[in-house]
Amino acid sequence: MITAGIDVGLENLKIVILKDGEIIAAGSAPSGGGKRGKRVAELWEALLKEAKLSRGDVNKIIATGQGKTDVGFASDKVVEAVADAHGARFLYPSATSVVDIGADQTRVVTLGEGTRVLEVVLNQKCAAGMGLFLTRMAGRLDMTLDELSGINADGNTGLRVNDTCRVFAELDALGWLNRNASREEVARAVIEMVAVRINAILNDKIKPAINSTVLFGGVSRNSALVSALRRRSGINFLISDRAEYGCALGAAVLAAE
Amino acid sequence: MNEEFGRWSESRWTSREIDWKRAKQITAGVDVGTTSTQAAIICDGALFGSASIHTGYDFKMAASQAMEQALGDSDMKIQDIQYIVATGWGSQNVPFAQKTVDEVHCHAWGARFMFGPDVRTVVDLGAQTCKAIRVYSWDRVRDFMINDKCATGMGRDIELMANLLEIPIQEMGERSLEVEKDPEPVSTTCSAFADTEAIGLFREGYSENQVLAAYLFAVAWRIYGMVGRVRPEKELAFTGGLAKNVGIVKRLEREMGITPLISQYDPMLAGAIGAALIGRDIMAEI
Repeated sequence: MITAGIDVGLENLKIVILKDGEIIAAGSAPSGGGKRGKRVAELWEALLKEAKLSRGDVNKIIATGQGKTDVGFASDKVVEAVADAHGARFLYPSATSVVDIGADQTRVVTLGEGTRVLEVVLNQKCAAGMGLFLTRMAGRLDMTLDELSGINADGNTGLRVNDTCRVFAELDALGWLNRNASREEVARAVIEMVAVRINAILNDKIKPAINSTVLFGGVSRNSALVSALRRRSGINFLISDRAEYGCALGAAVLAAE
Repeated sequence: MNEEFGRWSESRWTSREIDWKRAKQITAGVDVGTTSTQAAIICDGALFGSASIHTGYDFKMAASQAMEQALGDSDMKIQDIQYIVATGWGSQNVPFAQKTVDEVHCHAWGARFMFGPDVRTVVDLGAQTCKAIRVYSWDRVRDFMINDKCATGMGRDIELMANLLEIPIQEMGERSLEVEKDPEPVSTTCSAFADTEAIGLFREGYSENQVLAAYLFAVAWRIYGMVGRVRPEKELAFTGGLAKNVGIVKRLEREMGITPLISQYDPMLAGAIGAALIGRDIMAEI
């Protein structure tokens, strides 16, 4: 049985191809706004080629993510929270919740028995776009995302930026640069802001368990943020090397059921 | 995300005609913005050199690089400039300036130089702030308005949108005007909501150009609300980086019913040119 999951996000799209419970191909590409339909098709063809498959070999394709309606060739669609649940269960059978931090949305999904979803908490409107904010601030500080990820998030210097609004936070960060704070100090303040904002979502309803919470989404690759979030929330997140593909993987797992 | 799409091009120019060694007065202005930094050199009332570059994260370095580029390949040295005025968000980071002056006056006087003495309303459309300034026919600012806190950084947001949509920032305005009819503008309360809301419109079946139109209309609408509060007169000039975005400018013109004045100069230079001119006035008083 060969299935695929396609997650079309605000910033990036991800595709996972699954064969009998094993990932045989995975890839991502920028969504490109209105070009995302075309981008999905291109990445899909490339992955099929890589896995030496033809379209007919794939039994079922499920699309998810905010651009899921743009995957014309998908057999079905699924909401992101359900995909998260399936992806987490697949990677960590004893997981109890999933935190998915993407470019746009942050979700906390509490798992029930099997792949049942007990509760979903989404970010408040003002906390949207945390991933985008990190990308943007890295650009502003002339750092790559890897460099931003590599800073020591625990070396507190007392420098803070507004932790309610990312527009004000950016303004504060620029203000610190103007007062000749170092890039690293400003980056640390930005990371802390995102950690505060996400931790607030974690504390919104059912608090995720300390040792069985899975972290998904592109932001999971930012180690500085993960470390700050761990310090604030006390949660030792389970982070797979496929964390960015969690939602796409979940869609592929669901397609196999 | 490919950051090349949101990158606007830098510029520099230095006169080959002006013999600066015979000039009586040489002054310069440096306008350090959050996103771009400009420098302008004025010799006896004429523009001798100018530069517009990306600010980056080091404001001091941006200020000195812009100054160097404005001097260009002329043999003028920074020591030959008699008076330097700094302005803009990072004005205190120009160690070689003798004085800092507020942005409102610099933009007003810069616009008068660039667009002619008839200018009565100056709308500065920057990356960080938007300002509407009304001036008297003599050298005095009559009234001004600055955007409210939530509308801050609209200019920078456009760079992010260009990257997300993978549409070069220089083409956004033109393309947004290709729609037959403007769609409803996206959320006009918050610049952060505007991005995600605009991308969300693809789910409604919007084309790229329609999304651009809804987004830029929202930006123009916010600015329009602010400009209205100074009761603009028809001798109006747009300055700043967003003045190069026809998608914003044309929509503002339509809403205000005003055809703005035009200028041969880059609208981004207004602050720096104004600062250099104010430097000249200060010298005359000393």
